[in-house]
Amino acid sequence: MIDILQLEFMQRAFIAGIVLAPLLAVLGSFATLRKMSFFADGIAHASLFGVALAIVIGITPFYGALGVGIMFGVLIFLLERYGKLASDAVIGIIFTTGLALGITIISLQPGYQPDLISFLFGNILSVTWGNVWIILVLSILILTIIFTLFKQLTLLSLSEELAWTSGLPTTKLNLLFYILLSIAIVLGVKLLGIVLVSALLITPAVTAKLVTHSFHAYIVSSIVCALVAFIGGLIASYYLDLPSGASIVLSASIIFALTLLITKAIGMRTH
Amino acid sequence: MYMAKPMAIELQNASFGYQKGHDVVHDVSFSITEGSITMLIGPNGSGKTTLLKGMVGLLTPTYGTVNIYSGKPKDKRGIIGYVPQRITFDQTFPITVTEFLKSSHRGSDIEITEVLDHLGVVNLAQSLIGTLSGGQLQRVLIARSLLGKPKILFLDEPVSGIDIGGEENFYELMKDIRTRHQVTIVMVSHEVHLVSQVADQVICVNKTMLCSGAPEETLSPEIINSLYGHDVSSYKHNCH
Repeated sequence: MIDILQLEFMQRAFIAGIVLAPLLAVLGSFATLRKMSFFADGIAHASLFGVALAIVIGITPFYGALGVGIMFGVLIFLLERYGKLASDAVIGIIFTTGLALGITIISLQPGYQPDLISFLFGNILSVTWGNVWIILVLSILILTIIFTLFKQLTLLSLSEELAWTSGLPTTKLNLLFYILLSIAIVLGVKLLGIVLVSALLITPAVTAKLVTHSFHAYIVSSIVCALVAFIGGLIASYYLDLPSGASIVLSASIIFALTLLITKAIGMRTH
Repeated sequence: MYMAKPMAIELQNASFGYQKGHDVVHDVSFSITEGSITMLIGPNGSGKTTLLKGMVGLLTPTYGTVNIYSGKPKDKRGIIGYVPQRITFDQTFPITVTEFLKSSHRGSDIEITEVLDHLGVVNLAQSLIGTLSGGQLQRVLIARSLLGKPKILFLDEPVSGIDIGGEENFYELMKDIRTRHQVTIVMVSHEVHLVSQVADQVICVNKTMLCSGAPEETLSPEIINSLYGHDVSSYKHNCH
C-alpha cells in the first residue's frame, strides 16, 4: 500500500478522487431522486465536443470539456423549461449532437489523438497537478453551495410545486443545480472517462438508498460508498494492472450487488 | 364601532388555463373575507383545482386579476399555505416526516412536534414519507403549511381519501385550525353534503362561477341541479 502512495501520479489520483468521489456522490444523491441519471450520461458524452474543440484550438481539452459541459447543461435546462419538451428527448438530442460534433471535428484532425482516448475511458496518468487544483477548488466550491442550499435542494427534489409555494426561486435553483451537476460530471470525466463517469454519480446513491431510512443517512452512506469504491478500485487497478476508471466503476457495482443481496437476505429493504 | 374584516382574496373577471386560448375556468369574480372558511364546490372536471392553483399563484390569469391582500399571489407566497391533493415524488425518497418538515425551512423541533400532535400524526415523525397513506400524507402536508404560519391556507380536495365519518372529524379539525392559527381557509371539494356545516361561504364552479355566498342562502336545489345535473340531497359517500 505504501509503495502506491510513493508514486506521484497515484498521489495526484488519490487526492483528486477523494475530493471528487464525495462530490459526485452528493450530487448523484439528488440527481437520482430527481430521475436525472440520463442527464449525467448526456453531459459526459456531449462534452466530447468540447474536448475536440480544445484540441483544434490548441487549449487544454479539460477546459474545453468544462465550457461545453456547462453550455449543454444550460441548454438542456432551457429546452426542458421553455421548450416544454420531455427531458429524456432533450438529453437524447444533446447527447448525440455533442458526440457527433466531437467525432466530426476529431476526424478532421490528422494522426492519433491521445487526449481523446484519455477522455473516453479516463486515465489516472493524465491527471496533472493543475487538474488536481482545479478539481479541489471546484469541488469544495460546489459542495459549499450544495450544503448551504441543502434544505432548499431537498424540497425542490421532492416537489417543485411545494418548493415554489414555499417561496423558493425554483427556476434559479434548478438552473444552478444543472450547472453544478454539469461541472461535477466533467470533473469526473477526467478521472473515469466519458463512458463511465455516470456510474460513480448514480451507483453510490442507489446503493445508499437500499440501506438508509433518513435523508441524512442517505447522503452520508452515498459518500462512504463512493469513497470505498474509488479507493478500492484504484488500489485494485494498480495491483491487478487494470484500467483505473473501469476498476473504480466495477468496485462500485460490486458494492451495490453485495448490498442488494445482503438487504434482500435479511429483509432490510423496506421500500 | 363595527369594523369590517379585510378582504384576504379578491378575483376580478379572472380566467385560467394551461394552454393559450383554452381556458379551463373563465370570468370568475368573488372576494373572500379574512378568517372565513370558504369551499369551492363543483363536479369533477369543473375547474376547481385550476381555480385554486390560480389563487395560489401556480397559474397566472389569462385574463382579469387575482389579489391576495392587495398583492399578486407570487409576491405573497410567504403568507400562503398550500396543500395539494397529491404530490408526485419518488416513493423510495429516503426522507422522514421530520426531515421533510425541516426542509421547508419551518419551525423548531418543539413546534414541529406540537403541530404533528394537533393533527394526530405525531407518531409518524420518524416515518419515511413514501410509506404514508394518502390521508396521513395530507395531514403532514397541512402540518408543513401551518409551520409556515400562513394567513391563508389553501387545500385541494382534502377529504378525497377519507371515509364519511372521518370527513366530519376533518372539518372539525379545520374549524379548530382556523381559530387556533387565525387563518383564512379555502378548500376544494366535489361534494356538497357537509358544506353548510363547515363553510361560511361557498363558491360553485363549473367552468365559470355559478354561485357565491353563504351555503344556506346559496345552495338551492336549482343551483345544485345546474351544478351536478341531479339532486344531491340524498347523496351518499361511496368511497371505502
